[in-house]
Amino acid sequence: MNQTSVAPRPVSAEVVHANVNRKFGMWLFLSSELLIFAGLIGAFVLTRRSAYIHGKEWWEESIISIALVSLNTFILLASSLMVVLGIESIQRNDNAKLKRYLLLTALLGAAFLLGQAVEYSMLIFQEGHSFGDPFGTAFFILTGIHGLHVLAGVIWCLATWAVARRNTFNANNYTTVEIFGLYWHFVDLVWIIIFTVVYLTN
Amino acid sequence: MANSTATAAPAVEAQHTDAHAGQRHINPVFVFVILTVVTVVEIAITLFHLPKDFLVPVLLGMSFAKASLVAAYYMHLRYEKPLYTIVFVTPALFAVFLIVVLAASY
Repeated sequence: MNQTSVAPRPVSAEVVHANVNRKFGMWLFLSSELLIFAGLIGAFVLTRRSAYIHGKEWWEESIISIALVSLNTFILLASSLMVVLGIESIQRNDNAKLKRYLLLTALLGAAFLLGQAVEYSMLIFQEGHSFGDPFGTAFFILTGIHGLHVLAGVIWCLATWAVARRNTFNANNYTTVEIFGLYWHFVDLVWIIIFTVVYLTN
Repeated sequence: MANSTATAAPAVEAQHTDAHAGQRHINPVFVFVILTVVTVVEIAITLFHLPKDFLVPVLLGMSFAKASLVAAYYMHLRYEKPLYTIVFVTPALFAVFLIVVLAASY
């Protein structure tokens, strides 16, 4: 259905004010999330350093593992682009494209989770890592909590898509999509740091 | 939903509250290409087995540059109110400080 011909309904000053508050609330939430991930990344760095100093066994990543995680990184970067393009579509009042981009975002998020599941199974069943060893503790907690954030993002994305199917959003009313976008980009941003700290500087 | 109260107060045309009116936005596909290229370069330079003292700061620098690009252009911090930047960047600086101190002090 082409939405470009439908003129968006103006929104009240109260709604605009409420949207400012919702966005600000999201930024505050993301700031607190940032500190949670800082603690987790710090713990990972500390555990790795401790294992190195005390000569404990650590993880030697394989080419397959790096290739898989690199693919996952590109998937997450592409999903962020889908969200931006979706928001740009609704700014042009194109609800059909917004729905398409939201669905693509959810699919890419699900693909990321699938990649992470494959990586976990390789680490656990082929390389024998578990929560019991220092690497397992630091790695699974950090990447697992990030994965849970991606899962929450996929569910949120599908919920936003379901709302978009009812043609709720338009060029004057898309803060709900924008707030979801902020969350999704944040998850991407955190993964960019995790990818470097955990995989590339291992 | 937010638009349910759209009857009482005087209508305003744009919901956008950020300070980016009149500013030229960078094409998000261009940002994606930069992020992809930098990621490929990051992966490539790890294959050369460079000294860790050189490699780690370079990789972290590239990673923070990519994260800044996402925050600035995908999260629109570049065009938003400065308050949002202060709210987000202040804990980010603290986060970097925390990680560096933890890594260095052990």
